[in-house]
Amino acid sequence: MSTVSELADLTVGIVERFGGLTFDILVTQNRAATAEVEKGSMKQAASVMDSGVAVRVFDRGSPGFAYCSGHAVADIDKAAELAVSQARAGVPDPDFKGLPVAENVTFRQGLYDKSIASLQPDEAVDMLLTLTDVAGDDKRISSVNAGLMVAVGEVALRNSNGLSLNQGMTSFDVFSETVARDGDMMFSGLDYASSRRLERSSLETVGRSAREHAVRGLVQKKIETGDLPVVMDPLASGYVLAQAVGGGVNAESVQRKRSYLSGKLGEKIGAEGFSVLDDPTVEWAVGSTSFDGEGTPSLKKSVIESGVLKSYLHDSYTAGKDSIESTGNSSRGDAVWSYRSPPSISFSNLVVAKGDATTEEMIRDTGRGVYLRLTFDNPNLATGEFSGLMMESYLIEHGELGDTIRQATVGIGLVDMFSRIDMVGKESRSAFGVDTPAIRISSAKVGGSA
Amino acid sequence: MEDVAEAAIDHALRSGAEFADLRMESFLGTVIVVMDGMTKTITTMVERGCGIRAFVDGGWGFAVCNDLGIGVVREAAEKAAKLARVSRDKAKVRFKIDEAPSNRKKDVYPCRVQPSSVPVSDKLGLAMGFDKSMGSVDERVVSRNTRYEDYEGKRVVANSFGSLVVTDEWWTLASCSAWARADGIVQRGHESVGNVGGYEVVQSGEAAEIGVKAAAQAIRLLDSKPVPAGKFTCVLDNRMTGMLAHEALGHACEADTVLAGASVLEGMQGKRVATEAVTLVDDPTIANTFGYFAYDWEGVKSTRHTLIDKGVLSGLMHSLETSSRMGVPADGAGRAESYSTPPIVRMSNTFIAAGDVKKNELIEEVRDGMLIVGAQYGYVDPAKGQFMFKCDEAYRIVRGEIGQRYRDAILSGLVLEALHGVTDVADDFVLTDPGYCGKSGQDARTTDGGPHIRVENMLVGGLA
Repeated sequence: MSTVSELADLTVGIVERFGGLTFDILVTQNRAATAEVEKGSMKQAASVMDSGVAVRVFDRGSPGFAYCSGHAVADIDKAAELAVSQARAGVPDPDFKGLPVAENVTFRQGLYDKSIASLQPDEAVDMLLTLTDVAGDDKRISSVNAGLMVAVGEVALRNSNGLSLNQGMTSFDVFSETVARDGDMMFSGLDYASSRRLERSSLETVGRSAREHAVRGLVQKKIETGDLPVVMDPLASGYVLAQAVGGGVNAESVQRKRSYLSGKLGEKIGAEGFSVLDDPTVEWAVGSTSFDGEGTPSLKKSVIESGVLKSYLHDSYTAGKDSIESTGNSSRGDAVWSYRSPPSISFSNLVVAKGDATTEEMIRDTGRGVYLRLTFDNPNLATGEFSGLMMESYLIEHGELGDTIRQATVGIGLVDMFSRIDMVGKESRSAFGVDTPAIRISSAKVGGSA
Repeated sequence: MEDVAEAAIDHALRSGAEFADLRMESFLGTVIVVMDGMTKTITTMVERGCGIRAFVDGGWGFAVCNDLGIGVVREAAEKAAKLARVSRDKAKVRFKIDEAPSNRKKDVYPCRVQPSSVPVSDKLGLAMGFDKSMGSVDERVVSRNTRYEDYEGKRVVANSFGSLVVTDEWWTLASCSAWARADGIVQRGHESVGNVGGYEVVQSGEAAEIGVKAAAQAIRLLDSKPVPAGKFTCVLDNRMTGMLAHEALGHACEADTVLAGASVLEGMQGKRVATEAVTLVDDPTIANTFGYFAYDWEGVKSTRHTLIDKGVLSGLMHSLETSSRMGVPADGAGRAESYSTPPIVRMSNTFIAAGDVKKNELIEEVRDGMLIVGAQYGYVDPAKGQFMFKCDEAYRIVRGEIGQRYRDAILSGLVLEALHGVTDVADDFVLTDPGYCGKSGQDARTTDGGPHIRVENMLVGGLA
């Protein structure tokens, strides 16, 4: 840790020479290793060394931010000078109330896995090939594309209030896109896993899931347009809720009245069984951290409790504007922090409260409806409406999971969606930063192509 | 930089690589975000680095450093060669990289006003001007965002075929988003301008209007309704035609996707994939476009690709690897987001070529359908053969008359079916939206476009 720490202290000295400014500094030293399989064959192994220094300066609330890649002192000088000149070029902002002061930080467990830091390239390749073998283990599988990435980072954060914090972080990601073919029919199964620790068990589960979903998609059926109950797999609910809740409660959007959740604090926006936490303390979750991107200690808080909107997510600026405490949601980008962009508000890990139904019970109870596994559409956060392509979905008929639905869409207002949650699963998984079970929406508009 | 680059390539070969290439960059960039009359962020990037790739008998190694000293770059070259052997040891598919012409060129993008010569206070003033113009449109505009971006850099591409291509590159972009509110409903409008070139790009007459256009769109959408779901005859405007060109077939024509066994167009060469009215082109050689480049990120001269010729699938886009494996000449479609990512096959300026019908005739002939205007975003899964786009605005067409305005319509389709429904192509060709296309975690600057087209039986998704 000494290198980033010493460099951060040196950078403080450089910025202080300009005098009279509020600032923070992030120094990072990151490295990543990746392995990639294309159509079942090992394709590329890579190593990325990426270190840099970010300087953020405020002059009477007017911000400037500059970064340099690498740790050369001449470049840090240049970045500091640019950040200062930008801050001085802007208009003073009376809503800026200052950066966090140094507080006692509880250092969290489960952020840094030594076995990731010591992983050798050939071990990474062997792990990926284990996944590839599992994913390809069916004669209908025509191609397995897969990837593995591990990253290790050390960061040092300093600010003009004397705040001085260091942290080590690791991350592990695997994914597989597995393609099945049968005559003219073709379908791909996707799955992935993401953690702060090396999860060897995910090689088997991701490979098997990608294979099974690819094969399952070979039998397809068109459906008609109508209103149907929709069971959302954790992959689908995670993707939608990351935006709908995580983006909707971003205090920046709320204060500027760009979010459908503006003015709804304390109001009922969802069903009794719908509760969501923002929790940066979950061991090994990719959004976990001891302190946020500005140095505010990380804190678990309720966002939605039994359907009632409890909290927005703040950084020091939006909290200052509302005269409250920051919720510690200033983010520096990826699981392993990046120096490349100024901090911005983000959720840490969203955790959706579990219910008591198994997936099978949810499907059986639905009778006729849709099981949505994957969508990659973003809700419109201004209007609070969601419409998207059901990239992978299944018909539920007679209480059983049936054929893959060919080309269909789903649409619903987000508050309606939350309010119509009438069944919640008891098994959760992490998807797109959201730890969520399957959830059932009692009715949504399904656009079919039959 | 050039000397270090050539020394590193030599070192990779001496370390056991059969083929090696690298991308070395040094650049400055600015991003300014203004929200509601205040500076939100001003970011300056001071960046340099090198990514070097080594190849051994079907296996690639790739190593990145962000220090351009000869010692560090040589170390990266050695590491790349070592990683290539690690890959090779486990690779099942064996192939060679065919020798491509050695290009030793310097390409300088046109630029009248270098962004680095413009004081940051001027750039901020410009962004504040856009912000003000949005606010002046209507009092129902409640929130405003302006983003300004510039890039000024030098890129060196070198490879072991002797190529050394140096590009001095500039691009500049500005975009505006406005949020309007009335009766408890909030709507967003947006508009952007961007091109390769310097600060002059955002000082044009076209650029001056983006704030007003974004705000006017947000105001228009206030009296829109959620779109009904179902199948409709749709007339697509230039932007939506561009998105169709890019997503519905462009991605599936990338040869690396085909070799990965993840494109529904595998084995479809020479077959009919669209009506005769459709000719689809990807062309990076068009000057003054956001998708322009003369040499790709592997040092290969760029070329125009006709992907669909009068309805028949006629070509793919290639990198050095895919052209070698498929036995065709390299055609300059290998692009990397930056030095820190390896080149993959990418689009540039993608469009459907103009037809000869007038735009009004396309609309007049629709009994009951939709006019689809503007494009927010789109995506495709080429292995599932499904795509979707979200438009800015949609209008009902009844007996040739444009009526009710709708919002948030999504269009979806199947790659192998979508272009069979194109019944007419208008003559009003425009290359439109500058933007970034994402693939495998890398962004590439692109544009797309075309004329208005009419498509039968499109699946429209919505809430109503």
